[in-house]
Amino acid sequence: MRHIIAILLQNEAGALSRVAGLFSTRGYNIESLSVAPTEEPTVSRITLVTKGSEAVIQQIVSHLNKLVDVVSVEDMTLGEHLERELVLLKLKVRAGQSDAVRGYVVRTGGRVLDPAPDGFVVELTASEAEVTAFVAELARQAQLLEIARSGALGMGRSARALRIVR
Amino acid sequence: MSGAEMIVQVLADEGVSAIFGYSGGAILPTYDAVFLYNEQRSTAGEEQMPLYVPANEQGAGFMAAGYARATGRVGVCLVTSGPGATNTVTPVRDCMADSVPIVVICGQVPTGAIGTDAFQEAPVPSIMGAVAKHIFLVTDPRKLEATLRTAFEIARTGRPGPVVVDVPKDVQAWEGEFRGSGKLPVPGYRRRMQELSEQLVTAHEAEKFFEMLRSASRPLLYAGGGVVNAGASEALGEFALTFGIPVVTTLMGIGSFDTTQPLALRMLGMHGAAFANYAVDDCDFLIAVGARFDDRVAGVPAKFAAKAKRIAHLDIDRAEINKVKHVDWSHVGALPEALRALVSFGQDASFRPDYSLWHAELAALKRTHAMNYDRASSLIQPYYVIEEINRHTRGQAIISTGVGQHQMWAAQYCDFREPRLWLTSGSMGTMGFGLPAAIGAQIANPNRLVIDIDGDSSIRMNIGELETVTTYELPVKVVVLNNNGDGMVKQWQKLFFKGRLSASDRSLHKKDFVKAAQADGFRYAVRLDRKEDVPRVVRELIEFKGPAFVEVMIDPDAGVYPMVGPGQTYTQMITGEFIASRHDVEIKTPGPAEMF
Repeated sequence: MRHIIAILLQNEAGALSRVAGLFSTRGYNIESLSVAPTEEPTVSRITLVTKGSEAVIQQIVSHLNKLVDVVSVEDMTLGEHLERELVLLKLKVRAGQSDAVRGYVVRTGGRVLDPAPDGFVVELTASEAEVTAFVAELARQAQLLEIARSGALGMGRSARALRIVR
Repeated sequence: MSGAEMIVQVLADEGVSAIFGYSGGAILPTYDAVFLYNEQRSTAGEEQMPLYVPANEQGAGFMAAGYARATGRVGVCLVTSGPGATNTVTPVRDCMADSVPIVVICGQVPTGAIGTDAFQEAPVPSIMGAVAKHIFLVTDPRKLEATLRTAFEIARTGRPGPVVVDVPKDVQAWEGEFRGSGKLPVPGYRRRMQELSEQLVTAHEAEKFFEMLRSASRPLLYAGGGVVNAGASEALGEFALTFGIPVVTTLMGIGSFDTTQPLALRMLGMHGAAFANYAVDDCDFLIAVGARFDDRVAGVPAKFAAKAKRIAHLDIDRAEINKVKHVDWSHVGALPEALRALVSFGQDASFRPDYSLWHAELAALKRTHAMNYDRASSLIQPYYVIEEINRHTRGQAIISTGVGQHQMWAAQYCDFREPRLWLTSGSMGTMGFGLPAAIGAQIANPNRLVIDIDGDSSIRMNIGELETVTTYELPVKVVVLNNNGDGMVKQWQKLFFKGRLSASDRSLHKKDFVKAAQADGFRYAVRLDRKEDVPRVVRELIEFKGPAFVEVMIDPDAGVYPMVGPGQTYTQMITGEFIASRHDVEIKTPGPAEMF
C-alpha cells in the first residue's frame, strides 16, 4: 500500500543521505521525496511517498526512528490527512489551441504562468491522482516538453501536529 | 585551549583509559595534544591515557572493539584522514553489526580543502554514514567539545554502536574556550532514549506473558548478544533459575548464561549443539531475549521453533520485533528491568511451574546428542586442543577468535562462566578480528588471561599485530589452529562444490608462523604437531609469563559439526560421524537464492 511519511530531520551534514541510504540499503522504494526548511532553521521536513506491505512500512518507520538526526516520524496514511502535490508543465501548444488549453487548466484549478505557445507553462496544486490526470489530459491536448512534480506533501487532519519538541 | 586539546580533555573526562590509533598528517595536532597531556600527567604522577599503535588502522579499530566488548565501556580509535579513516571502515561496520560502542575520531583535511580531492582526503561522512550508528563532521569548531561528548552518549545508549567524528585539521588547531560541559541538541534521539527508559513491563503485559508461560510445558529461553550488551546476564540468570527455564544462546549471546549451569543448552543455530537445536525444535514456548532471529539461527524462519505455540520477544530495538518472525508478545525496553519485572510478577503470582519432564527430556538430549569427535585419531583434532585449553581456563578466560571453523569450535567447546569473556565477530564475520581484539581486551584487563584462538587464514589478515603484542609486552596467548587454508570454505566446497578447493588450500604456502612470531619478539613460540604433546604445550602456553604463541598442526579435514545447511531446517541438521542424529538426513546443495 502507498504511504506518505513525514519526517522532521535535523539539518546536519549527510543527514538526508542517511535517510535516502536507509531506503537503498534495505531495498525499500521511494516513490517521491520532497525536502524543505521548517520554521526552525536547524530542522527540515521531508515528505516521502513509499509503497510496501504493512510489515515493510513498520520496518521503515522503526528504522527511520533509529537515525540520530531524525526528530520525529509520522506515517500520515494511518490517520485522516490532506495531501497535495505541485506540478509545473511546459507545453508546446498548436496554433489556435491556446484558449482551449488555458480553459482546461483554469477549469481544473490550475494557472497559466507563461502563455508563450512554444513554452506554455502551467501550474496545478492538487492530489497526486488529480495531478496525474491533469498531466495526461494536457499531454493529449498539446505536446509535453517538460514536467516537474514536487512529490506529495501531507498534513494530518487533527489538532495533533508534527512539531519539533525540544 | 586548542581544538586538539579539547578532544583529549573530553576523552579524559569520559573515562577513556587507552587510545588505539595511528598518526598521520591530518591528525597530527591531536596526537601532539595526547603527547603533551601524558607528559603533564607523568610529571604530576597522575594516570596517563596511553596510545597503543597498531600495524594498520583496522587493527586499532578492532583493539577499540575488543576493549569495548570486554568491558562494556566505549573504545576509542584515533586515526588520520583518507586511508587512516577508510582502514577503519571494516571495524566500524563490524561494531555496528554486533552493537559494540566505539568512537572513531578521524582527522580530515582542512575545512577549506574539503571536496577538492586533496591529499589524503576521503568522503568519510558518506562512507561512514552508511555503516556507523552515527557520524559527525565538525565544521564549526565551537561545537567540537559538545560533539565529542554527544558521540560518546550515542555510542553507549540504546542499542550501542560505533560513532565516527570527522575533525578537519584546522578545527583541531583552532583556539577557543573549553566549557567543560554541554552536548549537542539531538532532540529526537534523546526523546526516544527517554521513552525507552520509561518502557516498563506493565502488569497487563506481564499477565499476558504468564498466561502463555502457564499454558506451556516446554518453555525455552533464546538469549542473544543484546543480553550481554544490556548488562542483563544476571537478570536473565534470575529469570531462568527462578522458573527453571532452560537457555540456548546465539553466538553473540555466549556467556550471557553460565555454560556450566545445568539449565545451559549452549549455542543454537547453523553450528549449534545438536541438543540445543533439538530443544528449539521441541519447545512449545520460545522466549527471545536480545536476539534477532538472524539467518545463522533461523535459516528458514517459518520452520524455526515450529512447535512453539507462542513466541515472546524482549529487545531494546523496536525494529527487531516482527522483522524476521512474527511474535505473539513483545516488549521493547531495557532488558534487566524487563526481566526483573517478570520475575517479581511471577513470584507475586506464586508461579512455581514444574518442568521436570522437560528437564529430563533435555538431559537425555544432552547425553544422546553430546558434542563429540574422533578421539582415537592419530592426528591432532582441533576440538581436543580447545578442550585442553578449557581444562585450564575453566570458563574464566577471555577468548577471542577469528572467523571460520576455529571460531565455531571455540564457541562449541569453551566454557564461559560470565559475559564479556567471549569476543567474536558474529554478524559481520570479519577474519582478522581475533588478534587485535585480544590486544584491546588485554589492555582493558591487564590481569585476565586472554587467549586468541585463531585460524591460519584469519590471523594472516592482521598478522602485523603480533608485533603490537610484544611492543607493549602484553601477555596475550595466541593459538593458531593451522589446517592449511580456509577451513570453513573448504568444508563448504567439499559439501556443495564436489570438493573443488578453489583458492582455499594453502598447503603449498611457505609461511612459517613460528618464525614470524619469533621475528616479532615472541619468546615462547612453538609448533605443536604431535598429539601427545598437546597437554604439555597448552599448559606451557597458559603458564608462560608474557606473550606466547602456538601453531597447532591440526587434522586438515576436521569439520564443524553439527551443521544446518543454508535453507535447511534443524531437522535437516547434519551431525557428522561422531554426534548422534535423531533424523535421517541427506545433504542438499543450497539453491541459488539461499544464504551461504
